[in-house]
Formats: sequence, C-alpha cells, structure tokens
Amino acid sequence: MYLLLLPSLVMILLVIAYPTLYGMAISFREMRLTRPGLGGWIGFKHYAGMWSDPVFWVALKNTVVWVTAAVVLELALGLLAATALNRDLPGTKIFAVLILLPYFLPNVVAGHMWALLLDPRLGVINDLLVRVGVLQTYKAWFADPNTALAATILVEAWHGFPFFALLLLAGLKSIPEDLYRAAAVDGAGVSAQLRLITLPMLKTVMAAAVILRVIGLVNSPDLLLILTGGGPGDATQVLSLYAFQTAYKEFNFGYASALSVVMFVILMIFAVGYIRLSRITKGGGDD
Amino acid sequence: MIESKRRRRMIANIATYFVLATLSIFCIGPMIWMLLTSLKYEADIVTQTMQYIPRRITFDNYVAIWTQSGFPRLIGNSLVVTFLTVTICVATGTLAAYAFSRFAFRGRTQLMLGYLIVRMFPAVMMIIPLYVVMRGVGLVDSRFGLALAYTSFLLPLFAWMLKGFFDSAPKELESAARIDGSTRLGAMIRIVLPLARNGLVASSVFIAIAAWNEFLFALMLTTGQGSRTWPVGLQLMVGEFQLPWGVLAAGGILSILPVVVLFAIVQRTMVQGLTAGAIKG
Repeated sequence: MYLLLLPSLVMILLVIAYPTLYGMAISFREMRLTRPGLGGWIGFKHYAGMWSDPVFWVALKNTVVWVTAAVVLELALGLLAATALNRDLPGTKIFAVLILLPYFLPNVVAGHMWALLLDPRLGVINDLLVRVGVLQTYKAWFADPNTALAATILVEAWHGFPFFALLLLAGLKSIPEDLYRAAAVDGAGVSAQLRLITLPMLKTVMAAAVILRVIGLVNSPDLLLILTGGGPGDATQVLSLYAFQTAYKEFNFGYASALSVVMFVILMIFAVGYIRLSRITKGGGDD
Repeated sequence: MIESKRRRRMIANIATYFVLATLSIFCIGPMIWMLLTSLKYEADIVTQTMQYIPRRITFDNYVAIWTQSGFPRLIGNSLVVTFLTVTICVATGTLAAYAFSRFAFRGRTQLMLGYLIVRMFPAVMMIIPLYVVMRGVGLVDSRFGLALAYTSFLLPLFAWMLKGFFDSAPKELESAARIDGSTRLGAMIRIVLPLARNGLVASSVFIAIAAWNEFLFALMLTTGQGSRTWPVGLQLMVGEFQLPWGVLAAGGILSILPVVVLFAIVQRTMVQGLTAGAIKG
C-alpha cells in the first residue's frame, strides 16, 4: 500500500522538502554567486537588513494593495459571471468556454497582449477612450506611477477572474433547486434569496477560492515581471518580484531567500487567521 | 400576475445575455485584437488613425517569427519539457492518487494536506535552492532538469485532481476483478484507469498546459539555446531585438494555439476535476 505512494513521495521529498529546508538555511547565510569568496553563517543579518530596507516596505505595501484589489475585483467579476452562467440559458456553454479561456493563457502572452492594448502610441484602448471622450490624449498607463499599479491590477483581473467564475459556478450548481422553490413559496424575493440562500451556501467555496488566489498572487511575480519589472521607480514593486530580482539580477541568494521566508511566514499567518475567521462566521451549526 | 412574471423573466434573460456578452468581449477581445495585429502589415499597425479591421492581410509576421529567430527551437524545447513533465507526473502521481482514493491509512489526511501546503511556498523560495542543487548535479540548462522542477508543483496538483476522478469510479468492478484473481495493481490498470480515462486525460492536459506556459522557473533554470522554452525566448526577444508588434503578436498566437485547442477539447472534464476538490473541501 505505502509502496504505491513511494514513487511520488520520493519525488516530492527530492524536489520540495530538501530545497525548502535548504532555502531556509540559505537565508541565514551569505551567498552571492557573483562573489564566491563570501560565505558562512551570518545569523539574522539579512532579516535585520530587511527592516531598514526601504524597498522592502514599499514592496510589502504594494503587495497588500495589489493582492487585495485584484482579489476583490476578481471575486466580484467571478460572482457576476457564475450567476449569469448558472441560469443555463441557451448558448451558455459557448459563453462559458469564452469566459474561462483567459485563465489558461500564459502570462507572457497575456502581458504583452495588454501592453499592446494599452500602448501609449498605438494602444487600441487609448484610441477608444479618446474617441468616446474620456481621455484627451493617449496615456502611458504603465509608465505613469499613478496608473501603473491600477493598470496591472486590470490585467491580473482579466487573467484571474475566470478562476473565481469556475469555482463559484460549481458552488452554485451544488445548491439544491428545492431551496429556492421553498423560499419562493414563502414569499422571499430575489434579494432575500441571494442573502439567505445563495451567499451562505457559497461561503465555503468562496473562502477556498479566495485563499487559493491570494496564495497564488502573493507568490508569483510573473505578470508584473513582464508588464513593468516593478517600475516606474518602485511603483509596482511587490515582494515576490523583489525577491526574484534579488536572486536573478544580483545573484544575492541569501537576501532573496530571507525575503521569501518572510513572505511565506506572512502567508502562513494570513492563511491560518483567514481559515479561523471563515470557520467562525460559518456559525458552526452545519458541520 | 402571470403576465408580469413572464415579463420579469424576460428582462432577467436579457440582462443575463448582456452580462455574458460583455464578459465574453472582455475575455476574448484582447485575443482577437492580437490576432488582427498579427495579420497586419507593420505600416498598418503604426498609423495615425487606428485601423480596426485590417484593409489588407499578410502572413509575413508568422513567416518572420518562424524563420528569423530561434522560435522553432524554443517550441521544440517546450514540447520536450512538457512531455517529460507529464510523463513523470502520470507515472508517479497515478499511483499516489489511487492510494489516496482507495485506502484509509495512517497519516492519509496529513499527507494530502501536505500535498496542498506545498502550493504555499513562494516560487522564489523553491527556485533558489533548486538552482543551487541542479547546478551541483549539472541539471541547470537541461530540459530534464526543468521538467523535474515543474514536477515539484505540478505533481501534487495532478494527484489531487486525479484522486477526485478515481473517487467517482465505482469500486464494485474492482472487487470483482480481485476475486477473479487479479492483483491490486492489475485491477487498477485494467479496471479503474479505463473507467477514469477522461479524468486522466483532463488532469494530464491541465498540467501539460501549466508546464507549457510556465515562465519563472524556466527563466532562472535555463541559460542557453539548448533548453530555453518559448515563454523565456519570446520575452528575451522582446527585450533584445525590439520585436515589432506584428511579429510578437504572431509569436503569441502560435504559442497559445495548442493551449486553446487542448482546452476546447477537454474543457468540460477538466473543469469538473478542478472544481471537485474545492466543493468537497
């Protein structure tokens, strides 16, 4: 029996457990590939350095803003899409495929596609906005520190909201039709049905979707790396991107590891707190 | 009374179609624009007045990306890495998914949770040690090394998803086969796998798409032409050669083509597999 698990356990231990522990160890060491002479244990020096690193604090703030805004937007759009798809009108299947598609597209293509759409010289969105009179002239969305973060959030919402639509739709489908019928007999209107049946029944799925997405967003710098590289200045710098650039550009593996350990700890605290909180609000009556 | 009800229903239907149409345009509008751009002459892309419908169509951009860069090589590398990743995951993950689905053993829940917690590790935290280790054993800039790295986050996903499909395959046939003298493994291969065939295909396609699309690990772990995958290659081309928009768009279309085709084929089963875990959990 355990024999069946053995191959995948070996794989997991090999490619996850060992690197993870090793990565934590590196965060207490000096390790720069560009300066092999440096080395050895330095204790909490990287962590202390982080405390006085202004970029770290900016990145932390941006991470919170970026993740919160993106998740809220994606949840709202996902709920809208799921509700509409759940009505099962003719043609819904085609719409479902179209709406889910962005989630499966690579970040590299998604990033450049939106860079083209929002381009300051030949972006079609600029052109449309000027035509309808919202903008006077074309705008350099990603180069302006005031709009860069918002623009990347839009791209992320486009890429990520199908994920919410997917999970929420499955959640909606699992709510028995009878509940609504009974509620209608009792004279509950649409808003009462939404408040008393749909949202409580969806709570578990929503909680799961939110936490998975938050983890995904905090951990992956791909999209920002492609769209802005953290710029202009540090306007779109987030923790994951900062850690990656510290490793990839400066080859300062020690500091990058320390940054990602901090990220991991923050995520853990968030996840545990969030799960506690969503258990409490569930009322405890149903399980 | 009935009249007004019907009317309300009609308004709701119209609103639903409006929402669905708007969201669909939001979702595929950008892709359509990229497709149109890839078919335009460069002179028609960089114009004073925007051309919404191209007046003339060209395939020059596709020819350019295919012949004037290492694009075929990049696509080839991606194919190899994707194939290796799926092979490793299917070979090891199928057994794990079966064990999780059929046996109640000590530590089962913890192990399954562990499979999920793995997703919480920041990518960078994995990449740095993986880089150091792989450099040590000579697997940096190797397609096999990259596939191994992908396994670290795709194998748990694969096992988790496939377990859901195994759960819904009936156990009775399996018992019958065992009574007839078949071994556990034999019963799994001959009875359960065919029953869960669609699920196996959908789970494989899901991780195949993920491996095909992956960017960050590939950027860090590949350094040369020998193993570089298309997302990294395309990104570097943009930086190095100031790739014209039309050519870039053509590259984008070519590289998402397999994703779109695969997604269209197995979309329904894949969606079912992706959502099963979240509903139960």
